[in-house]
Amino acid sequence: MKDTSNITQQATEQIDSAAIKLKICGMKYQDNIEQVASLQPDYLGFIFYDKTPRNYDAKTITNVPETIKKTGVFVNAEISTIIKTVTDYNLQAVQLHGHESPYYCSILKSTKLFTKNKVEIIKVFSVNESFNFNQLEPYEVVCDYFLFDTKGKLPGGNGYKFDWSLLNNYPSTKPFFLSGGIGLSDVDVINKFKTSEASKYCYAIDINSKFEIEPGLKKVSALKAFKNHLNNKNMNLYNVDEKGYYGEFGGAYIPEMLYPNVEELRQKYLEVMSEPSFKEEFNQLLKDYVGRPSPLYFAKRLSEKYNTKIYLKREDLNHTGAHKINNTIGQILMAKRLGKHRIIAETGAGQHGVATATVCALMGLECIVYMGEIDIARQAPNVARMKMLGATVVPAKSGSRTLKDATNEAIRDWINNPVDTHYIIGSAIGPHPYPDMVTRFQAVISEEIKWQLLEHENKENPDYVVACIGGGSNAAGTYYHYLHDEDVKIIAVEAAGLGVDSGESAATSVLGKEGIIHGCKTLLMQTNDGQITEPYSISAGLDYPGVGPMHAHLAKTGRAEFMSITDDQAMNAGLELCKLEGIIPAIESSHALAIFEQKTFKPDDIVVVSLSGRGDKDLNNYIEYFKI
Amino acid sequence: MNRINQKLKENKKLLSIYFTAGYPSLNDTVSIIQNLEKNSVDMIEIGLPFSDPLADGPTIQDSSTQALKNGMTTEVLFNQLKDIRKTVNIPLIIMGYFNPMFQYGVEAFCKKCEEIGIDGLIIPDLPVDVYHEKYQSTFEKYGLSNVFLITPQTSDERIRYIDSVSNGFIYMVSSASTTGAKSGFGDEQTAYFERINSLNLKNPQIVGFGISNNNTFTAATKYAKGAIIGSAFVKHLTAKNAKEIDTFVSSILS
Repeated sequence: MKDTSNITQQATEQIDSAAIKLKICGMKYQDNIEQVASLQPDYLGFIFYDKTPRNYDAKTITNVPETIKKTGVFVNAEISTIIKTVTDYNLQAVQLHGHESPYYCSILKSTKLFTKNKVEIIKVFSVNESFNFNQLEPYEVVCDYFLFDTKGKLPGGNGYKFDWSLLNNYPSTKPFFLSGGIGLSDVDVINKFKTSEASKYCYAIDINSKFEIEPGLKKVSALKAFKNHLNNKNMNLYNVDEKGYYGEFGGAYIPEMLYPNVEELRQKYLEVMSEPSFKEEFNQLLKDYVGRPSPLYFAKRLSEKYNTKIYLKREDLNHTGAHKINNTIGQILMAKRLGKHRIIAETGAGQHGVATATVCALMGLECIVYMGEIDIARQAPNVARMKMLGATVVPAKSGSRTLKDATNEAIRDWINNPVDTHYIIGSAIGPHPYPDMVTRFQAVISEEIKWQLLEHENKENPDYVVACIGGGSNAAGTYYHYLHDEDVKIIAVEAAGLGVDSGESAATSVLGKEGIIHGCKTLLMQTNDGQITEPYSISAGLDYPGVGPMHAHLAKTGRAEFMSITDDQAMNAGLELCKLEGIIPAIESSHALAIFEQKTFKPDDIVVVSLSGRGDKDLNNYIEYFKI
Repeated sequence: MNRINQKLKENKKLLSIYFTAGYPSLNDTVSIIQNLEKNSVDMIEIGLPFSDPLADGPTIQDSSTQALKNGMTTEVLFNQLKDIRKTVNIPLIIMGYFNPMFQYGVEAFCKKCEEIGIDGLIIPDLPVDVYHEKYQSTFEKYGLSNVFLITPQTSDERIRYIDSVSNGFIYMVSSASTTGAKSGFGDEQTAYFERINSLNLKNPQIVGFGISNNNTFTAATKYAKGAIIGSAFVKHLTAKNAKEIDTFVSSILS
């Protein structure tokens, strides 16, 4: 045992020593400097160059702990200027951004000040396709580090990234800083880069303009999030890791019979999704066929009632009436590229079944939809729609004869048809890569919210994003581009059914325990003995005993606030939206709307709610409930 | 060496039988096991029922649903089996899905198996890499063989990996299907059996899925060490209310 722990300890130390350093550059304002310094970056950069708005013009730098290396950034400055500045501001490093020659560096390095105080010299090179790495050689002995930035018009940073794969040609062993337009959303790219050969000598990441409110004023929450993610692959990362996990949730717990299919998808999905022709076809169909972008609508009367600013993301206006079609369009294109010509799907209320039947008709592919026998009886109009669209609807007669059993049947079909069939899962659930793939197809929701909100409010980030969660695909799409912006609060709304403690509920985050359902480890409702139990909600779309692994992780880490809304609260919120805004929402979406009765927001809070679907399908429920 | 390894050394083709614990009646488990041994069955897979058995066809699903209704749980099964080694000597394997074991606690589950005298586990939805990374040492600590499935779609490379992690036998699924879906073997199966045979794996293979009578048993064991019958036996239990086990077994072996 002793030996093992030693090995573990050594391994941890190795990882720590290899941990990538962080330099935050372009500091300007004293309060902001202190806030940023409290995050303990390795370097703080101060620009001494009067042609930039980030020029540091205060007389001193105070309250920066000694553990942080204060770095002066210069562009073709006189050596005497540098010496004076290093002395006046007590700098531990200088970064040379101009045409400083190896000779210039050698003089600087040999000065008494630099030798005695071990002041580091970082020489900057701007990289593009034609960059000649051989020019680095004369600098090797006279500099401590190189810094690679994007080649652009400005002598300093240009705010965008160069192609890091160019570093595959890096001929040196000199450690370098990686710089140029790095933002919070690049965490995954950096983590991927860290596993590549080109990163072997990457010593630090240098960030600046992507973390600013205005030039020189840094956004502390975003910096904090970035720093947390940078050297902490297992924690706090809200995106899936390379093994298919969100923290401890996810993975692919599947019988061997499914392995070849799931593995094929795992190997190819990212590659296919990044093909320009795929993106083009996907975007074209979202625009011309689905009707995207869906509006971001400022709900004026609703906002007045609750004294806050409520925006509705109108997924209900999509073709087929809900967000589901974003995913089925993506997956049908994926299936075609994988050479599959038979499509299977599961459906609960029939929304995903209709969305799948729709895209199969669009592409001329065979479509089989599994649906619980009980659901078939209570969702007759959607069954008819699927049939009109040419799909075969197969009743799931096993178990409780609802959504989870339909999912089981679809999986069994896939086991029996391993070669020609693609399974279009309708939510952010299932074995890896499904939760991630579905999330990425749905991510168009938050991608649009960002630019739409910029038009409305002159800022990309709301204070809250809100969505209802069954398996969690509309929620995953609504959150995706905000996951790492910790100034955006996430609210996940589950169905409490008749009440969380009533025994008739679908509030998985409260009632669920960690376990395995439909191929992934997540939170699910189950007996003490590990048998999966049947949830209840008036809304068929939220009536699922599990929750996507990403959401389980958001719940466990506290990144998202989970709220439970009962049938009654949801129905009343749905009717209220009809009266106040002239919009009849799906009962699923009504759950998200019901939070305004439960939680008070500030008058200037901007709250974006995903209106995931329209209420036509729920008319009978509304009629029955309100005795209309 | 546990009972499975000893059994695999015997110079004969092995008949292994699967049944769902707690079916048709809750307390049939022990008598079914005793009857199977008495009728020369070589090995038994005791099915721990699960609410959502993904890899199973309707026969085993229905028996699982009924067993759960009868009151079967992990704890009940362990209680039923606590004295099983006083009367039964052949290898006993528990076959079930991962979630009930995970809830019981994997280590506690393995420990209990060792106490009772269970020799191995088959967990179709516990992937080989997760087992290898997280649970192999626990299984080995309690002397349990873990049995993995391979299918006609499994690549040679992956089969070799599975072989390297296995320490009993390999469960060779005869065709791409859920349990009880197909019966009889065609050229495709023969080619598959021959391919596996030519890999010269360290672990013997036992064929399952699609074996229901003497013909299919003989065909399957032409290339493999043995064969497993599940759905056909569960159907027999349903039809004969757990009686006439001798007739069923002799129809396979003769």
